[in-house]
Amino acid sequence: MADHNPDGDPTPRTLLRRVLDTADPRTPRRPRSARAGAQRALLETASSRRLSGQTKTIAKGRSRGARSIGRSAHVQARGHLEEQTPRTLLKNILLTAPESSILMPESVVKPVPAPQVVQPSRRESSRGSLELQLPELEPSTTLAPGLLAPGRRKQRLRLSMFQQGVDQGLPLSQEPQGNADASSLTSSLNLTFATPLQPQSVQRPGLARRPPARRAVDVGAFLRDLRDTSLAPPSPGKPAQFLAGEAEEVDAFALGFLSTSSGVSGEDEVEPLHNGVEEAEKKMKEEGVSVSEMEATGAQGPSRAEEPEGHTQVTEAEGSQGTAEAEGPGASSGDEDASSRAASPELASSTPESLQARRHHQFPEPAPPPGAAVCPPRSRTTGPRPRQDPHKAGLSHYVKLFSFFAKMPMERKALEMVEKCLDKYFQHLCDDLEVFAAHAGRKTVKPEDLELLMRRQGLVTDQVSLHVLVERHLPLEYRQLLIPCAYSGNSVFPAQ
Amino acid sequence: MALSTIVSQKKQIKRKAPRGFLKRVFKRQKPQLRLEKSGDLLVHLNCLLFVHRLAEESRTNACESKCRVINKEHVLAAAKVS
Repeated sequence: MADHNPDGDPTPRTLLRRVLDTADPRTPRRPRSARAGAQRALLETASSRRLSGQTKTIAKGRSRGARSIGRSAHVQARGHLEEQTPRTLLKNILLTAPESSILMPESVVKPVPAPQVVQPSRRESSRGSLELQLPELEPSTTLAPGLLAPGRRKQRLRLSMFQQGVDQGLPLSQEPQGNADASSLTSSLNLTFATPLQPQSVQRPGLARRPPARRAVDVGAFLRDLRDTSLAPPSPGKPAQFLAGEAEEVDAFALGFLSTSSGVSGEDEVEPLHNGVEEAEKKMKEEGVSVSEMEATGAQGPSRAEEPEGHTQVTEAEGSQGTAEAEGPGASSGDEDASSRAASPELASSTPESLQARRHHQFPEPAPPPGAAVCPPRSRTTGPRPRQDPHKAGLSHYVKLFSFFAKMPMERKALEMVEKCLDKYFQHLCDDLEVFAAHAGRKTVKPEDLELLMRRQGLVTDQVSLHVLVERHLPLEYRQLLIPCAYSGNSVFPAQ
Repeated sequence: MALSTIVSQKKQIKRKAPRGFLKRVFKRQKPQLRLEKSGDLLVHLNCLLFVHRLAEESRTNACESKCRVINKEHVLAAAKVS
């Protein structure tokens, strides 16, 4: 008895089914089958339970027995059960995969019961139906990339476009958009296996919940709405509320776009906005003028390409924060949101730094009363705040290191104490460095002064050199910068 | 009260040196002096070692006084000595 299965025995499921089916009264026709029948009768109950699990967990004897059963089943399949194997396999498929409306393999399956005379065709069909079971497993694996892929919407769009062309011949019973993404991805992946396309979404209806690519449409709609609204309001002469609210954002756009030489991609936006801007500017109040002036001064400072982004974001933030302006916050913020959303996907770069800088600039602006149309002392009002915070933020880095080195829970007061210690330490450090540099007749503090400092502190000794400490405590990138190392081409970096 | 003011420990720390912060501190302290290119890295190294020593000392103080938590007094005592 050679351990050889011609059909490969892909799954224990098929094995089981074959065992169960071949245990029908048809089986005992051959002497082998008698033995097999006896074996089967013995092992059926046990193996049926175990085979349903995993073949690997079965003991060797039983697996061998199962294989022998399978072999005998195959022998019988070849001889007498040719009629049954396609049918039984079909039954198996129908049992195991009830929901999948298999289209292509139906053509394979349907002619299967018909030509029961020719053996090789049956074998092929059995193999074909076996292959059906493979894709059952495949979709589960391909669904994983299908789940990952939707994160990239661009890819999905392209795939859907591609899939629309490919799916012309194949019927799509599901909704075109919703499941097309899920099914398109998996179907494009499964095309090579020549398997059903849409049942993926049928099998896993959860995937259908993935939202279709709505963004592009929304942006277009918003642009249209924006154009409509930007053109419409100045003419009917809406109250200054809306204008003052919109004037800011419109000014932001105008300034941003005017300063930039080339409209990035929002030239369509720019034109209607320009119209709105011109008309709005005429009707602006001092408030709006002063705001625009401030925005101009603030706008020219940092990079210009990023201005519109920062402006829109800031205006959005302003509107959302409900500044002291007497505007209908709903309308203005809604428009700002719309415009910002329209702008943001077009202007790709997002600049949180410019946003923060704008916030600092913008905060004092609405605060002063409308009468004071003078650039307020921006630096003074926002001075004390940034002076302390970055200092504390930098110190907090070392405070965290302290708590890490201590390896014990600490009280907050203790951490404050550590901050004070660090402050004092930095002062002492700078004084010492100054003295050392002056001693060497220099005005620049060089690494030699640092080494001397560490030697005085007792960190660097004759046994422990500075390089050793550098290697021990600093990450590799800094070590590269500090310790001179020879490189190819007879060069040493950093130069000694 | 003690429990509420205990700060949680972080297991991961970043190893980068706040080079800009160090340079700014030095400039603010001694505007007449200049710091060389890799000088602030060595300053950072010095700070690390200082903080390390301070933390070890405070930990020793806390263990000696049989406290589970490092107190202000432990840190002060450690700072006075070094």
